[in-house]
Amino acid sequence: MQNKPKENTGPPAEDFRIRCPRLGHQVRFSYCRQENMGLPCFKTLDCWHLHFPVEQYLRQELTASDWERTFSRAKQPKLSSLLELIHKAQRRTQESK
Amino acid sequence: MQRKKIVLPESEIPRQWYNIMADMPTPLEPPLHPGTGEPAGPDDLSPIFPMNLIEQEVSTKRWIDIPEEILEKYLIWRPTPLYRAYNLEKHLKTPARIYYKNEGVSPAGSHKPNTAIAQAYYNKEAGTRRITTETGAGQWGSALSMCCSFFGLECKVFMVKISYNQKPYRRLMMETWGATCTASPSTETQAGRSILEKNPDSPGSLGMAISEAVEAAVGDEYTKYSLGSVLNHVMLHQTINGLETQKQLEMAGDYPDVVIGCAGGGSNFAGNCLPFVRDKIHGKEIDIIGVEPSSCPTMSRGPFAYDFGDTVQMTPLMPMHTLGHDFVPAPIHAGGLRYHGMAPILSQLLLDKLIRAENINQLETFQAGITFARTEGFISAPECNHAVAMTIREALKAREEGKEKTILCNWSGHGLVDMAAYEAYLSGQLSDQPLPEEEITRALEAIAPLPKPRQYIG
Repeated sequence: MQNKPKENTGPPAEDFRIRCPRLGHQVRFSYCRQENMGLPCFKTLDCWHLHFPVEQYLRQELTASDWERTFSRAKQPKLSSLLELIHKAQRRTQESK
Repeated sequence: MQRKKIVLPESEIPRQWYNIMADMPTPLEPPLHPGTGEPAGPDDLSPIFPMNLIEQEVSTKRWIDIPEEILEKYLIWRPTPLYRAYNLEKHLKTPARIYYKNEGVSPAGSHKPNTAIAQAYYNKEAGTRRITTETGAGQWGSALSMCCSFFGLECKVFMVKISYNQKPYRRLMMETWGATCTASPSTETQAGRSILEKNPDSPGSLGMAISEAVEAAVGDEYTKYSLGSVLNHVMLHQTINGLETQKQLEMAGDYPDVVIGCAGGGSNFAGNCLPFVRDKIHGKEIDIIGVEPSSCPTMSRGPFAYDFGDTVQMTPLMPMHTLGHDFVPAPIHAGGLRYHGMAPILSQLLLDKLIRAENINQLETFQAGITFARTEGFISAPECNHAVAMTIREALKAREEGKEKTILCNWSGHGLVDMAAYEAYLSGQLSDQPLPEEEITRALEAIAPLPKPRQYIG
């Protein structure tokens, strides 16, 4: 953790970083905000709510459907997500031939 | 002088892994294929895993021989020492005898190479020439890189670009072990190129990196993919830990009343406890405890059900303990423990009451980690601190009850690359995030209508 952000309702300044539990190093809010193909990482609320009112901020920033896609979707078990990824990769490979 | 370390001679290293699938009172139901809703079979996984590992994934054979080539490599750091925690016992003024199995002595600093070595070997045997994987901070990538080098395999690690740029030493570790580490998204895969077309400056993500690693395996018959957690064959390989521990406790003339491990993806907890679960199935009285965070008490509070991966409930997942598909856990620093659901094999053992779950808040875990470091010296990884905290609870309970019980703690890895989490604790920036009862109720209402596996009796 570095300097605590100033009290406000928006994200902290870019020099403020917290440890990402998935990557294992410090990241800025701007990274978490777009981590999932432009949408926030599904852990953004968990990680940032101690530092600023992130839920309030993102509810304003995101459409209702993007909010739903980001935070109402559980992380899949590995095996299921692997099966999906295999299927997608096979499709991409076939399309590129 | 008291014996601090119980060191198993190399000649006594276990020659077989133990497969709990042979002894489970209730067989596991297979995972469902997300596309068809039918049980997933070996062929579904064959594009990315070699058949010898898929056979282990579905095997019900009780003992599986560890090939000599793997044993030779295990001997670089195995058998790992079992410690008697005299200093911690004295500090706690407990009559309990506390042992901890130190898996942090591997070159990668954790239990991860136990399966990385086996996976590299079986891939080599199956004719694989190159293994791909994804990594963030680089712990799994490092373990696999090292093990591929042992067997002359190419190792291709797709490392999230932001991590690639911020963690040069991890990348250099992988490259020192001979791996090719590529920043993801890359131009080497369709998935990567597609992302870069839309955003050339993309800093990457774990989701992108795994897509690239899987695609690289699917597109080349000599390339396979490797995963370091969750799957049955991963847990099988990890049982070398518990089997060694049993021999070491026998050397000490002791046997545990309590076995404790932190329960995340499941491989470190399973690796140590499964041989003791077998003893329990055969009549031993042992309390086997998987410890999870209070903020996400999947095992200790969630029911057993088929959960769905999306809000429109189109994607059937594996039967598991779950808090529901709209559950968002509160923040804690033990990243490895923050899974939405528990591994199916552990869920079933829990359901069969062969193991049980406890949850502990994060401040208590870090306080335990500090106590452990100041008495036994080792600095635990944040997730490992959950096991340490439970060990201390049990030791204090023994003091209150005046009982001389034996406690075994699986010390799964050191925290020397996680000091920022300790800094946050020591500077008072962490807080406890217990999950309110109403939040659990709300999450469980969402899965109430979902189908239950036939094992579910709750």
